[in-house]
Amino acid sequence: MAGTVKLEKLGLPGVFMNCDTFDDDAGSAAVDNGMPAVRHHKISSAEFYKLRGSVETIRPLVEKIFDELVDAIVTPLTSEETDTSQLPPDTDGLPQLLYIGDSYEEAYENFNQSYLVKQWGDGLPMVAPTPDRIRWMLTGTKRLSQEVLGTINPKNGTATIEKIAINAVMAGARPEYFPVIISVIEALTDNKFDDLHVLASAGSFGLLIVVGGPIGKELNMNSGIGFLGHSNRANNTIGRAVRLATLNIGRTWPAKNDMALIGRLSAHTFFTFAENSDMSPWQPYHASRGFPAEQSCVTVASIHGSGPLQHFYGGMIMTWTADGILDRMVDDLLRSSRRTLREWGQKGMGVVPGSGVGANNHMVILFPELVEEYKKMGYDQTKLQDEIYRRVSVPYEDLTSEEIEAIKTGMELGVVPPERKLVFEKALHPGEKVPLLMMPENIHLFVAGGAPGCAFSFNYYRVPPYTHTAIMTRPITGATLTRAGV
Amino acid sequence: MNQEKIELRVLNPRGEIEAKVASSPSPRIADLSGKRIGLYSNMKQGMDNFYTVFEEIMKKKYPEATAMKVSGAFLIRDEDAEAMAKEADAFVYGVGD
Repeated sequence: MAGTVKLEKLGLPGVFMNCDTFDDDAGSAAVDNGMPAVRHHKISSAEFYKLRGSVETIRPLVEKIFDELVDAIVTPLTSEETDTSQLPPDTDGLPQLLYIGDSYEEAYENFNQSYLVKQWGDGLPMVAPTPDRIRWMLTGTKRLSQEVLGTINPKNGTATIEKIAINAVMAGARPEYFPVIISVIEALTDNKFDDLHVLASAGSFGLLIVVGGPIGKELNMNSGIGFLGHSNRANNTIGRAVRLATLNIGRTWPAKNDMALIGRLSAHTFFTFAENSDMSPWQPYHASRGFPAEQSCVTVASIHGSGPLQHFYGGMIMTWTADGILDRMVDDLLRSSRRTLREWGQKGMGVVPGSGVGANNHMVILFPELVEEYKKMGYDQTKLQDEIYRRVSVPYEDLTSEEIEAIKTGMELGVVPPERKLVFEKALHPGEKVPLLMMPENIHLFVAGGAPGCAFSFNYYRVPPYTHTAIMTRPITGATLTRAGV
Repeated sequence: MNQEKIELRVLNPRGEIEAKVASSPSPRIADLSGKRIGLYSNMKQGMDNFYTVFEEIMKKKYPEATAMKVSGAFLIRDEDAEAMAKEADAFVYGVGD
């Protein structure tokens, strides 16, 4: 819809065509983009998706709606459509709400049911965000309650410290977790981070939230066996607070403007855990992003929703070696990267060349026992990154002409970043090996879990569709109840 | 016996959306005769088939009309938008959703 509004603002009359499944989404996006009256025409999802496969199958549908599309272009605008009066600020209700019951349980149930009906909940019972509870949550940070962090997509609601605190209370979080939650929202509200795609796209994408540094231990986060599972209050309520804050501040709702076709895996808490600093022989991940190792940071990364993780095995059933796991990792990356190599020749889905196509980021999670083995083999994070990057490559002679052409086109289009062009220029010759990853830094190595050693990874586009990045590390600051993150 | 009611006062978790001025769509064209119509699609499959038929029908009904097919990003890039605004008289925007 933003593209249609862009063209209309350039003086071109037009019509946005959407399937009926996306009709609410289109109407909502028209308002979000400041042109509520932009004309959009719905067509039958049941017909369009099935029939669009060929010119002949789609013909009857186009014949049926052709005149309707033309009407949208030629029928003069009504006075309602040309109304450019100011849209008032939208608070979606009063600042405080009152629920009454014959008993505490009844009032509480009324609150929970009402919030869910208003589309302010995530389907699980919530803690009532009473003024006292909000004040309690705010004791966890030095930051002022009215401080604005930015806005959250798709509806660009304003994220203040107070609104984040309300959602954190509803999630069941404790005040000492609050600085971590704030830092995650700082990443999501950063204009460089593509929160629109991960929160609204049909692809059922998700978020990986990784806490690094001493604060994870102070919060008793689970960084060991079962770190992505239930039972740990910090892991689960930090993730749930982010879930509720994005839902309520960005104002998403399934099938309305959150179009994730299968919903989102780990829908209530995302994938939230802490790195295992006690057992890891390496520095925490955020050190590789330029932060001091002793600092506490949180990393937020978008992840694919389909086939969300690739398991490289290890574990306690079969015997394994660190070399064997590395081989499987390399083999998986070789195959998955090769599948999308021809996409390097496409400009991409968004404004940044290569957005949403080819060349992924890989967020690899290694268990400490395995990392000990890699350390014995001489690998620190950088060396292991380099080793994987070096091995995820193919001899020039093995590439098809289409693949070579795609890389060359990608270099012309800027899909291959300028600083990497020389690497590929040198590699595209007989006798050379051609990397299938854009750069070693596209492999992000985290350490969590315990013994036995094993490894798995999530992935996502190196460049997201709508803005510049889908992985961001933020320092945790302003904490009042922990020694770390102050 | 009158039982005392329990009151639960809670805060609104919704982010406020700032006030903004609504823009109006552009004035419409009178008809398609002699006009150039931009047909925009992103990379999702099937829109090219849709537009092929659309162009055929348009040629039959408005022989003087021409199509300007553009395929690109989900959100049309500035250079594509400016080119379409310069060369076309109206547009259809389909993204396969």
